[in-house]
Amino acid sequence: MTNTAAPPTSTPPAPATESVAVVKRTSPVARIFENYALLILTAAVFLFFTFYPPSSAAFPTINNLNVILGSQAVVATIAIAALFPLISGYFDFSLGATAAMAQVLCAGFMANSGWPIWAAIIVPILIAGVVGVLNGFLVTRLHMSPFVTTLGMAMLLSGVTLWYTGGQTIISGIDPAITRFGSTRFIGLPVVVYIVLALAIVAWYFFTHTPYGRSLYAIGSNAASARLVGVRVDRNVWWSFIVAAVIAGGAGVMQLARMGSATASGGNELLFPALAAVFLGATAITPGFFNVVGTIIGAIFVSISVSGLTLSGASGWAANVFNGLALLVAVGLSTYLGRRKRRG
Amino acid sequence: MANQEHPAAAASAGTAALALDLRGVDKHFGGTRALRAASLAVRPGTVHALLGGNGSGKSTAIKILAGVYEADAGELSIFGEDHSLSGYTSTTAAAAGLRFVHQDLGLFEDLSIEENFALDAGYPRNAVGGVRWRALHRQVAKVLSEYELDVDPRRPVQDLRPSDRTMVAIARALQGSESERLILVLDEPTASLAAHESGLLLEKVRRLADRGQTVIIVSHRLQEVLSVAHDFTVFRDGRVVGTLVDASPTEDELIAIMAGGLTVALRPTGSASHTTGRPTLEVSGLVSGPIRNVTFTAHEGEILGIAGLVGSGRSSLLHALFGAFVPSTGTMMLGGAPYAPHSVDDAMRAGVGMVPENRVREAAFMDRSVRENLSIAMMMEYWKTKWMPRARETRRAEELIQRFGVKVADPSALFSSMSGGNQQKVVIARWLQREPRLLLLDEPTQGVDVMSRADIYATIRRSAQAGCSVVVASSDMSELHALCDRILVLARGRITQEVLASDVDVDSLTSLVLREPSTRRTIYEPTAFEETRTS
Repeated sequence: MTNTAAPPTSTPPAPATESVAVVKRTSPVARIFENYALLILTAAVFLFFTFYPPSSAAFPTINNLNVILGSQAVVATIAIAALFPLISGYFDFSLGATAAMAQVLCAGFMANSGWPIWAAIIVPILIAGVVGVLNGFLVTRLHMSPFVTTLGMAMLLSGVTLWYTGGQTIISGIDPAITRFGSTRFIGLPVVVYIVLALAIVAWYFFTHTPYGRSLYAIGSNAASARLVGVRVDRNVWWSFIVAAVIAGGAGVMQLARMGSATASGGNELLFPALAAVFLGATAITPGFFNVVGTIIGAIFVSISVSGLTLSGASGWAANVFNGLALLVAVGLSTYLGRRKRRG
Repeated sequence: MANQEHPAAAASAGTAALALDLRGVDKHFGGTRALRAASLAVRPGTVHALLGGNGSGKSTAIKILAGVYEADAGELSIFGEDHSLSGYTSTTAAAAGLRFVHQDLGLFEDLSIEENFALDAGYPRNAVGGVRWRALHRQVAKVLSEYELDVDPRRPVQDLRPSDRTMVAIARALQGSESERLILVLDEPTASLAAHESGLLLEKVRRLADRGQTVIIVSHRLQEVLSVAHDFTVFRDGRVVGTLVDASPTEDELIAIMAGGLTVALRPTGSASHTTGRPTLEVSGLVSGPIRNVTFTAHEGEILGIAGLVGSGRSSLLHALFGAFVPSTGTMMLGGAPYAPHSVDDAMRAGVGMVPENRVREAAFMDRSVRENLSIAMMMEYWKTKWMPRARETRRAEELIQRFGVKVADPSALFSSMSGGNQQKVVIARWLQREPRLLLLDEPTQGVDVMSRADIYATIRRSAQAGCSVVVASSDMSELHALCDRILVLARGRITQEVLASDVDVDSLTSLVLREPSTRRTIYEPTAFEETRTS
């Protein structure tokens, strides 16, 4: 026997309101809250330490604000640097070590070799660029795992830096012009803060308003698809490593200007908070994706929290514990948000 | 064609006789109703086809059976045993006897067949907990022979031909229980298989049913379903619009039920008037990877088909035309000018676009919005203002969504939130917005439902009418026959036949393609690119 359907006439096309194209949507209010949760949280933390008795005396002062912003400038710079490879889906673990190397070399060239200040600034940044070229080569041409490659590079750089300084802190012989610049203020804020702000604006323009920046997001989403819409995947990824390393080199010089001295280190004290900022940033503005504005908010959030904790009586351990926790929470959250995006 | 079968009537006809009986299922997602009063009655020992376009609700129904979604209302009984649909999970489904094999088979490609079995059911152990490899080997060899798979269980899954991989997944899913008490659900089992491979697979599925296995099959490929299924349930707009028991309907009848009319687009237009227009692309002596010495011309307004099996070099040819592979020798002319793209970028600037074969792997940006998926191909054009025109991107995306009939709420929706057919429409729109003079399509409707396919055909025809030269590579002969003016048969990297679509029918086209490899084998030259390994 053959039983068949109701004739088409008996089932008129479903009205548009009952469209079966199932798309789960979050409500607009929830979405705004999600996008700006980090900003709101930062404001809340700021208010908390402003009124919390143990810290309320020292925390909300112009001086402390200056310390917070000034010390965070270098971390924020490295965070912006880290965005370039991260957005295209690659991890650069060597940025902290690159910055530390640039800091030591810049100091050393002035103190040990008596170079003029301009050469002592430019050459370390160029050397940092070479590190980026190497990272990019190993990752895009030899297809080495970016994580292990840049981790190895970080160890190598910190070793070479240690060899260069012989374990000594370089403190004398540094051109005072550079430290003077580090403590110069403009309209009440350290000049380095404006530099970071300018860098952030350029990076924001690059990522949102140039085809190259947008192509990095495309590569991070699906490199094979990106290649078949005309993106030069390898070249752009390579460049992202170079640009990141050059910015990190600049961050190292900036760190020297603020500290006035240089010691060989692995640069982890710069890299870890920077990564915390980047991953926190990926939970804000465009949740699930690394972005410049979120990164800056993340950097401010981390430094305000650490400063407030320190002023409330927590000692040296507070910074690491907080950065570590922030990084874990941030990675967890941005992974969750990213996965939700992919699943739709 | 006879009397109408109401789901309720089917239920009263004897629930005990049914292997699976799903009744009155409702499902909401937020404000949208994905299923209303849906039903599915599967007789034991039959192959039951579940049909419907994308968004018709058939996937939702399957996911409710699998315990992925919870139904709002409805009843379910399996082999006469009632199961409550509230609190029904994947564990309940497995205990009730449902076994699912999805399109992505879930096999570990580089592990051996027997290990794939053991990872699912557990390894046989000896007294100290070590694996009893020989016992496992015997056990799996026995299962494989039951499923007529003549392979060594120690071989890695990736060595199997594609249809056998699916059979291994089926055998694994059914292992360990009496298969009469199991219902096998195949979700798009042939979507990634070439035509002859899916033929082999379906033949085996049919034999399983002859041995008493109950099978539910979900597929977009109507012809295949017709060859294997006894009963059919057709979904549209979340409702069951047709239940055919022990029927042999024609493809047209099924399409009519699925689409509720409007099926003209899937038929050939019968015109081959564009095969003599001005040449757009002239390829001569092209050698690139598996492509050996290919010469042909595509004309303005022409839809040119490339027919060939997996490994024939179809995709490689399109990649070479798109600058994704650089050919080793040969010349190409595009619109009368020399054309030698060294990158995709070059090809795009010359006015060429390509929709790749594998949408998910090579075309999609799943976690980005529809707007971004469209504008990614227009970056350089948009950047002329040195500022990405967000508003213009959105407006353009809205236009394209409208023009190509994409079912999506708005351009900011994620690409992954759309059904396969709509995703494919977006990928095609991505290239057509550039108004290419040459459009390359690789399996343009793979994994796309019938209604979207009709839309896509219409889109392709419209752009050809506007003067675009279209090259379609496909393993679906009825697709090439319906869509193309002229068809080239590609085998082992060479063009072996050239026919006008109006001069052949689908069957003779299929035999042209299938016959080629064996005739070629006599003058077979080993190539560096052995992508034919599995075929």
